[in-house]
Amino acid sequence: MDKVFAVNIIHRPELSPEYAEKAYGAGSGVRDESLDIFVFQQQTAHKYGLKTTIQMTYASLFSDEVVELAKHDAKKYGDEIGLSLLGLPCKQFREKYKTEDFCIWMFDKKDKEAIVDDAFSMFFDRFGFYPESTGSYFLDAYTINYIKKRYPSVKCAIATCWEEGPKAYHTCNNSWYTFMDGGPWNPWIPSVVNSHCPAASKEDDSGIVAIPHLSRDLLACFDGNGSNFGTHPQNVLRGMIYYRDKGRYEYPYLYNLIDQYRHLEKYNDGYSYNMMFVGPGWLNKRGRWEAPYSLLAQSYDDAMKYYGMLKQRGELWDMTMSEFADFYRARHEDYSTGECALWKDILYGSNKQYFWYASPYLRTCLDFNQGGAMIDLRPYAARLEQHTGIGTDNVYDASYPYLIQANYRAGYFTHYAGAGTVKSCRVSYHGKQADLCLCRTMARYEKTATGVRLICDPVTVTLDGLDIVIESVFEFEKNGEVVVTRRIVNNLGGEAVTLEEYFTGAYGTTEYQKDMTSVTLGVDDSKLEYKYMGRSITAEGRVVWANLPDVSTRIEMGGCGCVLTASEGIAFSPVYHLSLQKTISKGEIKTWLKLQKAN
Amino acid sequence: MAQATKGKLNYRCPSCFMRDIDIDMFYDSHTEEYYCLRCSFRGKRGEVLKLNQQARYRYKALKLRVADFGEDNEPVSFKPHEGGAQ
Repeated sequence: MDKVFAVNIIHRPELSPEYAEKAYGAGSGVRDESLDIFVFQQQTAHKYGLKTTIQMTYASLFSDEVVELAKHDAKKYGDEIGLSLLGLPCKQFREKYKTEDFCIWMFDKKDKEAIVDDAFSMFFDRFGFYPESTGSYFLDAYTINYIKKRYPSVKCAIATCWEEGPKAYHTCNNSWYTFMDGGPWNPWIPSVVNSHCPAASKEDDSGIVAIPHLSRDLLACFDGNGSNFGTHPQNVLRGMIYYRDKGRYEYPYLYNLIDQYRHLEKYNDGYSYNMMFVGPGWLNKRGRWEAPYSLLAQSYDDAMKYYGMLKQRGELWDMTMSEFADFYRARHEDYSTGECALWKDILYGSNKQYFWYASPYLRTCLDFNQGGAMIDLRPYAARLEQHTGIGTDNVYDASYPYLIQANYRAGYFTHYAGAGTVKSCRVSYHGKQADLCLCRTMARYEKTATGVRLICDPVTVTLDGLDIVIESVFEFEKNGEVVVTRRIVNNLGGEAVTLEEYFTGAYGTTEYQKDMTSVTLGVDDSKLEYKYMGRSITAEGRVVWANLPDVSTRIEMGGCGCVLTASEGIAFSPVYHLSLQKTISKGEIKTWLKLQKAN
Repeated sequence: MAQATKGKLNYRCPSCFMRDIDIDMFYDSHTEEYYCLRCSFRGKRGEVLKLNQQARYRYKALKLRVADFGEDNEPVSFKPHEGGAQ
């Protein structure tokens, strides 16, 4: 297929941006300033020949001036006029709904419906048609389904902000309650059951194409503060990722980041995507963070200039959101092809490399700096029915649970005792042991008839004087299976080594584990109810498994005709372990991992 | 002595920034220094700017432009960024 780098540029006129109101007070000219910022953003995009999507906010629908501006730009530049469910705060909203809340997914069901109907009706009154695109930082399945049912014209929505969860909360001094970890990083068709999960079939298709709120650095955002590393120029300034040279500020990282998003076409049949959506608060005239307004404005201009240059070279296709939805559906003919990203460090100067994969069955990340260890795993196969908002069990936490999250839950390295969540392989010989997590490598990508394959450069483990050279291969099948091959590629001279493929898991959305006594572990028909006693079942069998009712997930591993072990943790280390072990002197062991919906 | 205020720009605490916490400092006009509510950092504007510069130590590719993403299993190759270029 043709190479396409699709870009969405989105602007929202807030008139009453929450950042500015809080910092400077509602009556201090923020309305006019916000309007100026919107006009600046629009003019800058158009200056470089780029099309935008104008997402009207609730507050802006009361402004004749903004409505006329939007109509003008739609007619002159082909911009799309959409409707945002961000930017709700304004006098009229507060008086009507008697609340200071402003995140659509946090309202109760009745208010979600009332606000959606209110905003869409006002939009229709102003423009004479219903929008084709909408969005928020996060849109839960309930809200998406309601919007699609009532306003079928909507075909595209901003539906999550990638890895905005505990990291964002901590960065904002534990005050920013946007918990929405665990979704895809690039556009997807959301399931009707849970908007994080890519749809598995036509019946599961919510009818919209979802896009992320920002295109974020798939390494820096996972490892650190999510809000500094995205295709959002002011995020880059927030991270202090700029320097001064000959009187001018420079930020090559922003261009490197856009370029790496372009590079992802290599892993997705020629398709790549990028979006920029800078809210007006980030272009505050008073400056933001340590950056004066002049730098904020310069960085926005430079970003648009770069997009414009790529467009002029025929290397970028600027689309409105609804245009993108049509393009995306035409380009993605089935529901089973996984989104792939083989991502390299472009900021810290390391050789670190991640592979991200998202399909209707799972989202996962392999870290080749840890030998290809699985450091993140989300069980989309479980299709968790998560309701969010007041009146539900998740008032604010919309994150999709992990089974493995090596940063929240330790990963390979722990302090003296216990174990962290990670999936890797241990190698043993003559009583000595090493974990492939300690073997740094890189990998190459291949497309196969049934999915994709990542092949690591071989690594050498030396135990008791014996060099054991191992190649790891990870295959992601369209049916949801993950097949791992550990291949010994040197001559061991007849010596036998033991390979143990293991999965240390947990579950949750934050760093803290809930009670695990609902967990059951087993090998074939033998089972163990979790009681924090550190007990195990070991047998030569077919399948080692874990049932996690709290996240409706069953994990199964099998495949090598090995010794299988399922172990519970202890109170100090609330995790579970599944492993497959085999002793070989040459050849390989091949194991598989499957996630299923349980209960 | 009057209460502390925000500075002209909202300088964040450099000590907290290094541990991934963004927290604005407040300005004490009496001592002409910024201080953090979360930790014990205090410092004049010049010291804040110097520490912000130091905080960039981890960005080893700060001034580099990607020349080539290379083969999958090769490191990215960089070149020095030319001022004003994209």
